[in-house]
Amino acid sequence: MKKLSLRLRLIVFFTGISCLIWVIAGALSWHETKEKVDEFFDTYQMLLARQLAASDWNIISPETQQRTNKIIKNIKNADEEDEAIGFAVFNQDGRIIFHDNENGRYFHFDNQDEGRFVNLKIDDEDWRIVFIKSADEKFLIAVGQELEYRNDIALDMAEEFMLPWGGGLLLLLILIVFMISREFAPLRKLAFDLHFRKTEDLSPLPEDGIPQEILPLIRALNVQFAQIDELLKRERSFISDSAHELRSPLTALKVQLEVLRLSIDDEASRNNAMQKLEIGIERSARLVEQLLALSRLEASFEQESDKQQINWPQIINILKEEYTPAAESKNIAFKLDVNGTPPFDNGNQTLAALMVRNLLDNAIKYSHKEATIEIMIKNKELIVSNSGIDLDKDTLTRLGERFFRPAGQKETGSGLGLSIVLRIADFYGCKVSFDNKDGKFSVSIKTKN
Amino acid sequence: MRILLIEDDNLIGDGLKTGLEKLGFTIDWFTDGLDGQEALYQAPYEAVILDLGLPGRDGLSILKEWRNKKRLEPVLILTARGDVDQRIAGLNSGADDYLGKPFSLLEVQARLNALIRRQSGQLTPKLSFKDVSFDPQTKKVCKGEKEITLSPKETALLELLLHNKNKVMSKEVIENKIYSWDDEVQSNAVEVHVHNLRKKLGKDIIKTINKIGYIMEDA
Repeated sequence: MKKLSLRLRLIVFFTGISCLIWVIAGALSWHETKEKVDEFFDTYQMLLARQLAASDWNIISPETQQRTNKIIKNIKNADEEDEAIGFAVFNQDGRIIFHDNENGRYFHFDNQDEGRFVNLKIDDEDWRIVFIKSADEKFLIAVGQELEYRNDIALDMAEEFMLPWGGGLLLLLILIVFMISREFAPLRKLAFDLHFRKTEDLSPLPEDGIPQEILPLIRALNVQFAQIDELLKRERSFISDSAHELRSPLTALKVQLEVLRLSIDDEASRNNAMQKLEIGIERSARLVEQLLALSRLEASFEQESDKQQINWPQIINILKEEYTPAAESKNIAFKLDVNGTPPFDNGNQTLAALMVRNLLDNAIKYSHKEATIEIMIKNKELIVSNSGIDLDKDTLTRLGERFFRPAGQKETGSGLGLSIVLRIADFYGCKVSFDNKDGKFSVSIKTKN
Repeated sequence: MRILLIEDDNLIGDGLKTGLEKLGFTIDWFTDGLDGQEALYQAPYEAVILDLGLPGRDGLSILKEWRNKKRLEPVLILTARGDVDQRIAGLNSGADDYLGKPFSLLEVQARLNALIRRQSGQLTPKLSFKDVSFDPQTKKVCKGEKEITLSPKETALLELLLHNKNKVMSKEVIENKIYSWDDEVQSNAVEVHVHNLRKKLGKDIIKTINKIGYIMEDA
């Protein structure tokens, strides 16, 4: 399942959390206020009840009630504030002898709950009433207040608190959205840049303004870009070098073909041209083969699964058999000593064979007649040497360069053989060196460790 | 037309030598830069074909040295590199033209002809003298409207004399110009060719200047 955007998820999460905290805080605050309000009004009710209890209720008469009614009415007119408080005075029989002319007249006599606050339902409304006895204990005083009023007050107070809090919450939410969006801007820009990046653009991504958490990602990408860039450059130069090298054999083929066309009535010249064409085609084929071998090397290196114990004596003996006819035609002798410690043990057998094959191929090609080719493996070193060659210093240093061929070559070659040897040796941590002393040319492949 | 060819690639060099000889040129071929450089001082060449990537000494250095020593033979450079820089370097070092590999033999022939024509100050591709006309590219010889068949050396001699109209060419110069080091030259070869040309193109086409040589001279 596709995950929602991180930014959206963060916004939703923070918004949810903030709202939840706000609701909890509101509820706590409401509860606290309500308790305080209750406490306050209970005290007030009790105070009133005590004042009433201190009065002498023996002298009360219906006239007093009427007078009081009038006073209360006047007060009511003057002040609309209705604290929803009521009181009643009961005699011992439970009859109301005096009340506030409003809610109090509906109070019930209840001497069970004397000295306590009780919540009672009066006229379908919840009341909180306290009953106490008068000073002479002949009367029962009841002072009550409508609970709804108390709740309204508590609610009003809680609202007073929570409204600014609500504004704060809104501001907080806006800030959360803003901050998250702002912090995610570099990521969005990065995604945008990568999306609209041209395929061939392998320049590194800028690192400034990138948060610490994303920096490793950017750096990894940049390393990747650099590697791809390097690889592409290598590929391009390889292709361009290859194209360049193919021009000469192609020219030879083209020119020889034209000679052939001009030689219709000249058999000797025709035969010569055809022979040259054949050589030219062989040369081109060999070049293409070597180019392919070189380009496949990179892919072969990747396949670590092909790694195995390399049987050097076996490789060398098989190759020796293969090259024996070519060697015999030039009366070349082989001298083998291949049971020592090789330059590397584990690797790809095919690559090791390819390396030895190129060395052997060169040795036979460039040896004079009657020469001796020596192949030696000992002390983590492989040496292939042949007698009968003299190379100047300049040539010796340039050996192994791609497409380099020493001057005055009669043999056809691609100039890639030693490049292949170098590349394989390098992959297996070996150093290749060339030496030419007393008419003996040798190539040494030695482990760097 | 005797041409100096310096090319280290065996197949290309062999093809150019054989092919151009079939097209009527006389070719001396060297594979080594130093040998080729010296060769220019040893024989009269109409033009040079010079490969740039040479063992011994590279083509550009050879060219620069020739120009420093006031050798003005037209030089056609052969280069495997497609890049403009090397062509410019070649032309700036005194080359007269260049060809990028892979090229065709006929293109080499055409460029050589153009270089030689320019060198001898001739403006049109065709050479003519009296009623005889000659096309260096096709090697076709006509007397009036009629096409005449000549042997390769006769053609080379005719072309040489046409390029050097009104100049006396000694027997030695002619031998040097139409034979390469590889050819075996009979002592009376030039006389035989002159005789044949006169037979095919008219008695008065070539004048003999006693003890000096031969000339195609406007009346």
